[in-house]
Amino acid sequence: MNKPKRNTIMSGNEAIARGALEAGIGFCASYPGTPSTEIAMNLFEVAVDQGIHVEWSTNEKVAMEVTAAASWAGVPALCSMKSLGLNVASDFLLNLNLSGSGKGGLVIVVCDDPKGHSSSNEQDSRFYAKAAKIPLLEPSNHQDAKDITKEAFRISRKYEVPVLVRSTTRLSHSRGLVQVGNVSSRTRKTIGLHEKLYNIPSPHIRHRELLEKMERVAEEYEESGFNQVKSTERAKLLVISSGISSLYSQEAIQAFESENISHMNLGTTNPLPRKRIKQLLEESERVLFVEENDPFLEEAIRSLSVELKKAPEFFGKMTGHIPSYGEMNTDVVLDALLKLLGKDRKRIEEQARNFEDLLIERPLTFCAGCTHRNFYWSIRTVKKRLGGKLIVSGDIGCYSLGVFYDEAMDTMHAMGSGIGIGSGLGKLQRFGFDSKVVSVAGDSTFFHACMPGLINARHKNADLTFAILDNATTAMTGYQVHPGSKIQDENLQRVQIEKLVRAIDPDFFAIGDATDIKSMISLLYSTVQKNGLKVLLLNSVCRLEEVKRKPGFIGAIPVIIDQGLCRREKCMICAADFGCPALVWDSNTNYPVVLAHVCVQCGACIAVCPHNAILEGE
Amino acid sequence: MREPYSILVAGVGGQGNLVCGRIISEATMKQGLRPIVGDTFGASRRGGSVVTHIRIGTRDWGPLIPRGKANIILGLEPVEALRTALRFAGKDTIAIVSMMPVPPSNVTSGNVRYPDLADIKKALESICQQVYMLDTEPVMKKLGSTRVLNSYMIGAFSALDDMPLDSKYLRQAILDLLESEMDLTAFNEGTQSLL
Repeated sequence: MNKPKRNTIMSGNEAIARGALEAGIGFCASYPGTPSTEIAMNLFEVAVDQGIHVEWSTNEKVAMEVTAAASWAGVPALCSMKSLGLNVASDFLLNLNLSGSGKGGLVIVVCDDPKGHSSSNEQDSRFYAKAAKIPLLEPSNHQDAKDITKEAFRISRKYEVPVLVRSTTRLSHSRGLVQVGNVSSRTRKTIGLHEKLYNIPSPHIRHRELLEKMERVAEEYEESGFNQVKSTERAKLLVISSGISSLYSQEAIQAFESENISHMNLGTTNPLPRKRIKQLLEESERVLFVEENDPFLEEAIRSLSVELKKAPEFFGKMTGHIPSYGEMNTDVVLDALLKLLGKDRKRIEEQARNFEDLLIERPLTFCAGCTHRNFYWSIRTVKKRLGGKLIVSGDIGCYSLGVFYDEAMDTMHAMGSGIGIGSGLGKLQRFGFDSKVVSVAGDSTFFHACMPGLINARHKNADLTFAILDNATTAMTGYQVHPGSKIQDENLQRVQIEKLVRAIDPDFFAIGDATDIKSMISLLYSTVQKNGLKVLLLNSVCRLEEVKRKPGFIGAIPVIIDQGLCRREKCMICAADFGCPALVWDSNTNYPVVLAHVCVQCGACIAVCPHNAILEGE
Repeated sequence: MREPYSILVAGVGGQGNLVCGRIISEATMKQGLRPIVGDTFGASRRGGSVVTHIRIGTRDWGPLIPRGKANIILGLEPVEALRTALRFAGKDTIAIVSMMPVPPSNVTSGNVRYPDLADIKKALESICQQVYMLDTEPVMKKLGSTRVLNSYMIGAFSALDDMPLDSKYLRQAILDLLESEMDLTAFNEGTQSLL
């Protein structure tokens, strides 16, 4: 990204990062989360060259707080996160909006994930812009992603409000051509903080001031070039879209060239350019809304239409013409247009049905040698020993795949929820709850959101075991550094989970080795039967991160199958149950086989065979 | 060229889908056209299905191909090629498929049987205009690594008639992005694979 050519292929996220550079940012903070991670990653790459401070903050709320501080001191700042991250940061956002973001400029980028490709929900984060009454911009293609980010900084600086830029997975992660401009070479010097960076005693006055600012933003949005209209004479139908749905809409409209369909794509979606929209609605008889995820524009424009002499007929998610859930695509728009135009689509045969038996599933699985598999294998064993009386409240990370691993994980919600739910389950004995409780979290998640839950469990004497799977990296999103990582840059200070946990003073604390299944089973079995708050810090390994750090690295314990001891298809535990991609079943010979090119030689599977047929090789 | 020209690359995590998208989009840009590349994959870092959608035109098209509208399917894996074809292939689609399976974990665990390649071929032929099933395993053995399968498949694609991209741009993109002799050799081998 140093010296890009004039026309460059960029992902939506790269384009957003580029826009921030062209706007002259000096500060970026983020917490990794798909599909937003690459925005800050791109800025990390140029941080030294450009003299920018870039950090992976402990969580999204902290990220927003540190960037607000920079903006108040006059340094333009970018704060990027995924959809669910904005939930975490929203508490601060709904105060910051009233105080204002100062002279530097603060742009918050949120990347929503329709269909939840990499998320546990498919929330629409645009409603936060409405709740906070801050300007919202939605880029509709890759060029826009860069340009709108730059524009967001202009608006933020001018009105001293934080501006929300909202992308979705398909824009953030697809790539297209972007014409780049120059990176701003503005010198960034701090200025004194302005007065009253708090909203008491009269938040309602601050609220009024914010609403006045938004009136002025709305005026300006009326003329914005980010709102595009392609109108056709005597149009039968007007399509209103935002975000990447604009490309789907264009493509679908093109398929009905003879049908006179107009198209309005909105880039400034809060506040809306009301006059411009009303004018267009006056000329339209029917309107179709195409947007991801919720009927955000649809609700706003429907409510605005009461001011019209004659309102058009509205169609979209609220009328069932567009599905209210899942991801948008061209087919969805084509189907809606066909319905509205009263036409039959030459339907492609339902081919899938004829060949269903050929389409074997491809389940998600832990990597070869992943110690999370060892952990869940141990949990499964302990659960059997306890006659099934064990509940696992899980958390967000690679180890979330525990829900697919023989349902070894029973609950999974927000970052940090595992220990919070455990803290509740651990107080239910008096009502007859008789299962042991294990809460699970990874190391990055521990720092992000587990401390309040853990302290609550300690304070209330909840009866549970908290297992921290510590592989010392943010593995799920690409090995970002966090406070507990063993290797830190020279200007970062490591914070040790062990010391934090000991300070909370659990009734029992032990460090375990997640590479050793036998010891982990006995540690878990004995621990869950103790009373009170137990914490296990399990030293874990991300094999992908290990190989990234030490190219070509492989473990020291190769394994072989002793065919004399193997009980073959009568057992199959190693291949069918343990499920390591390197230990597979050969249905020709009816023996398990170790795939040398997949095996990381961790030796974990030796403990899995009840007949001792998996041996350490040479 | 009738636009958009739409290419799907169907494979499994780790097979180099995303690199395919990068190479073809780079070549598209070199030719003065506009590429849009969308990748769909789930939360799995390893082992899940990956589908790359490439749209080529004089303007930007949606990053997901509509049902039945793929011009080309490059199948890096047989079952994944069929999975994609059932949704995105139509009577104009040409499928080029590597016959080397990457069995999913439910197959390697012995719980599910991988379908016969002949059945996959028959299914593809009933949907697509034309199907090339390439016996890639011996070629990859000869070249020394399955990692160059994607360059080989791009080579095969470059040899098609009525293909909008100039083969020299694809070759150049492989050189620029991968800087690997082995990939270039695989590309060259691929250009001969449809004969």
